[in-house]
Amino acid sequence: MRWFNRGSSSVDGKEPQLETAPDFPSRQPIMGVVVRRVRDGAITLLIVVTVIFTLAHVVGNPAIAYAPIDASDEEVALIEHQFGLDRPFTVRYFEYLGDLATGDFGESNWQKRPALDAVREAVPATIQLTLAGILVAGLFGSVGGLLAGISPNSLFDRVTNFFSVAALSVPNFWLGLLLIVVFAVNLGWFPTSGRYGWSSIVLPAATLGIVHGGRIFQLVRSATVEEISKPYVVVARSKGFSMPVVVGRHVLRNTGLTMATTVGWEYVRMWGGAAFAIEYVFAWPGIGLLMINGANRQDFFVLQSAVIVAGAFVILSNLVIDLFYNLIDRRINSAG
Amino acid sequence: MQADVVTLGTLGAQAESTKSVDMATRFHLRTWLWLLLLSPVVLLLFCAVLPELFQLHDPQHQNLRARLLPPWSTSSDGFHPFGTDSLGRDLYSQMVEGTRLTLTIAVVATAIGGTLGVLVGLISGYFGGWLDRFLSRLSEAQTAMPMFLVAILLLSLLGPSVTILLIVLPTLLWPIFARVVRAESMRLKESLFIEAAIAVGCSPMRLLRSHMLPNIAPRILVLAVIEVGHVMLAEAGLSFLGVGVQPPDVTWGLLIAGGRPLLAVAWWLTILPGVLLAMTVLIFNLFGRQFERFSGAAG
Repeated sequence: MRWFNRGSSSVDGKEPQLETAPDFPSRQPIMGVVVRRVRDGAITLLIVVTVIFTLAHVVGNPAIAYAPIDASDEEVALIEHQFGLDRPFTVRYFEYLGDLATGDFGESNWQKRPALDAVREAVPATIQLTLAGILVAGLFGSVGGLLAGISPNSLFDRVTNFFSVAALSVPNFWLGLLLIVVFAVNLGWFPTSGRYGWSSIVLPAATLGIVHGGRIFQLVRSATVEEISKPYVVVARSKGFSMPVVVGRHVLRNTGLTMATTVGWEYVRMWGGAAFAIEYVFAWPGIGLLMINGANRQDFFVLQSAVIVAGAFVILSNLVIDLFYNLIDRRINSAG
Repeated sequence: MQADVVTLGTLGAQAESTKSVDMATRFHLRTWLWLLLLSPVVLLLFCAVLPELFQLHDPQHQNLRARLLPPWSTSSDGFHPFGTDSLGRDLYSQMVEGTRLTLTIAVVATAIGGTLGVLVGLISGYFGGWLDRFLSRLSEAQTAMPMFLVAILLLSLLGPSVTILLIVLPTLLWPIFARVVRAESMRLKESLFIEAAIAVGCSPMRLLRSHMLPNIAPRILVLAVIEVGHVMLAEAGLSFLGVGVQPPDVTWGLLIAGGRPLLAVAWWLTILPGVLLAMTVLIFNLFGRQFERFSGAAG
């Protein structure tokens, strides 16, 4: 627990140089890190909201989007006045922020109900799909990457490496369509789309898993290759330990953190867009499908709520991963 | 190329061990293999510049009696290597037609985003200070944002078009370039030749342009090659979702989207354009990685 008191260790004035001792790098107290990350996350969320507001109110005009296509200028002006769109931008901006803070994300003119409700209903489906996807990706990516990394340039390494690059080069939505053609249309093993029972999640999760597993594979592999070339591995090997023992006891402890963080980043990346295209392909009733349908119906409020909810999720996940990494990192530092 | 091979060959012969001869021959073979990989790219460039040269049919020509023909079949119009769509248009010719816009969008978007990123990276890496902090925070914030979603929002608000796409895609792209260039120029700034250039009175503009940029250029090029592939994927994704390129323009992503409703009856309409797209991106990826390894070994 020494690290816990490190922030105040110089209070007694006896060993101020401890803060910069090379073998024990100085660290800020954990609460400071938490506060800074939360602040950064909040700023990013504010930027997202501001960008959306700017797009909607400065670049576009909501009144024109709301009015019938053949509306005259006077009618548009009337709508502008009714919705208070003729007031200054700053007034509207702060009013907008107030609305969002109180949970008013606007009314969906497609579903005739609060847009946030529609998004809230879609969230569980997206979480289910992304979790299943990251399970597949994490399993294949980290196991494959580890096995390829401990024997660099072997046949296995070359073959799997090529396939992982190929997985990264394939458009994810197209891969989904390919799986539908092979496994749903021709073999009939799984349903083509929808969300009914366990069998319908297999294909979308596999699609997500393949594409994201490719990237996890790459990162885990290079981390393993780097770790395996360190002197301690040679020493352990020369002491007579077999490779599986060395990897299990020593290498994995060092690369495990990288693996966990990589899987975390990939999960966030799914929420940043990839999962949504897959949802559209498989008609999986999550946020992505809702968003695309909203986009095709010009339903701004649904779109806006979906982007803000997904954005908040991405930012929050980034925060959690960052803090997790920071915590683990500390423990390693204080132990060593 | 020939000169290189000869030099390498003689170098190998001069060396005492025969092993280096093998190395030289292997390098020689490898180079040719990689050049072989380059040939599809050249072919695609030709397709983009002169599609008529490769097309078997007019891509917009409809023939309702030759609808949904499977690949490798013949109609009254002639031979259809990749089959026809629901209006009897030749899929192969449409794919050739789509090459131009697909490549153009990818290359132009990468060029815009890359230039922006390189400028930002150079400035924040070289000058540092508050400017660097501001720019870094900006690119950090953007990386934390779900930009793909914001892009969908933007495209559906402004109405999708190629022009908007060329604004949206570079905004997704510039932080990647900025981060790499910033790190590189911060490293370079410490080196002796930059110090010497400052000492002889080089202006910052000249320093960045004539001394920093040429040294970072290889890294930028490698990155750009890889990113062209990624931009292709992003454009295809947006077009597939209906917020990217709009018909009657043709891109590979749009062809995939067009075939989707007929997936159960005409798989080729979806699968074949996707194969072309995936292979193109794969080639860009392999190239980028090979360049990376090459420049890494040299440097």
